[in-house]
Amino acid sequence: MMSGDADRIKSWERLLEAGLKVTEHKQDEEAKKYPLRKQFRPAAPDIAKASLKRDFEVGLVYYVGDDVEQDRALCGLEKKPPTAHTFKEALERKRKILEESGIMKELGFDKKKGFFKY
Amino acid sequence: MGTKASSGSTGTKYGYFLGCVMPAKMPWAEKATFLVSKHLGLDFDYMKESVCCVRPGVWKAINPDWWLTLTSQNLATAEKQNIVIVDSCNGCYISHWECLQELKEEPEKLEMVNRNLEKAGLKVTLSTDVKHFLQVLYEDVGIEKIKENVVKPLNIRIMRHIGCHARKHDERFPMYFDEIMRATGATIVDTPYDKTCCGLLLYFADPKTSIFERIGVKMQTAKELDIDAYALICSGCYDQFERAVKVYKDERGIAFETPIVHFSELLALSFGYKPEDFGMMYCRPIPPTKLIQKLKEGK
Repeated sequence: MMSGDADRIKSWERLLEAGLKVTEHKQDEEAKKYPLRKQFRPAAPDIAKASLKRDFEVGLVYYVGDDVEQDRALCGLEKKPPTAHTFKEALERKRKILEESGIMKELGFDKKKGFFKY
Repeated sequence: MGTKASSGSTGTKYGYFLGCVMPAKMPWAEKATFLVSKHLGLDFDYMKESVCCVRPGVWKAINPDWWLTLTSQNLATAEKQNIVIVDSCNGCYISHWECLQELKEEPEKLEMVNRNLEKAGLKVTLSTDVKHFLQVLYEDVGIEKIKENVVKPLNIRIMRHIGCHARKHDERFPMYFDEIMRATGATIVDTPYDKTCCGLLLYFADPKTSIFERIGVKMQTAKELDIDAYALICSGCYDQFERAVKVYKDERGIAFETPIVHFSELLALSFGYKPEDFGMMYCRPIPPTKLIQKLKEGK
């Protein structure tokens, strides 16, 4: 897709790399290893996997770390927002829904390893 | 729409849904939104225990039933808190609003969702409502009351990006945005790119077009027209503006200078709040130094 340096968007490439990094069986590698095996399209696209992983870990797409907490305090806010960042029970409920409804299984996400199977 | 605890100027208890981007990247907008809402006498607090909306652009594409199930967690939580969900991010609004409509119109989907939520001790009864922040201000508070509160008209020229999902109900929300922005005293400069998408949803599939032919042309136009600020309301769009500005700066060596500001910040300033009251100068890719200076000098 990307040809010369002028066409490259490195931050996008890093995002894709981050998605592939949390994928156990990468489709392009598997295809080379097992050329007769039929390829399939995983439910979660590689480019979205890094943000999906964060969502499963935090309940929201972005972390609130020390730097963000500092910024929030500068703006006159509580360091932690009253979202699932603070209320861990909300994250637990989300995880329960993801597990029990079969979404995690279909997505192939192993929460213990923090990896997508495919 | 169900029974809401009543107080404040409109009799509705509003629960502000922060979403993912605002608390992490736009604390100045979060603070300004609360200053404005309290200033107008609204019974306005956070929607607590919220999770991602979940991004319809991603989840609906993966599986619409999963999107319905996961989005419903917020609807069920809002019902428990007896609040009307208020979204200022267009993506969050469209996710919550469309989910609620779909559950109202399709009983079998409601049943499916509740089967999934039950395992987490939650249930959707359809007793909550979902509103955009623009709706709360324009329909519930009213433009006249907003105008009455403007004590420091802003003598600035802005470009605005209202966002695609704010056009869900025709031109109603864009009209609210424009009228409220004009009430602050700001002059809106129309350009051919005002309705162009920010490119957020396109970014995953075609980053080049999404960055250069969406935000790039907008920011370049703002530069050519010597605009004081680029105003927006949607956190999803802001995320994309910020991403694009960083790509230009870090990967192309091009530094745009037009600050990207939130609708609530301009409203707060016109109500007489100072930039330091909501941390306007902090944690943004383009510092609004020139804008703040211009406002201070009253030019």
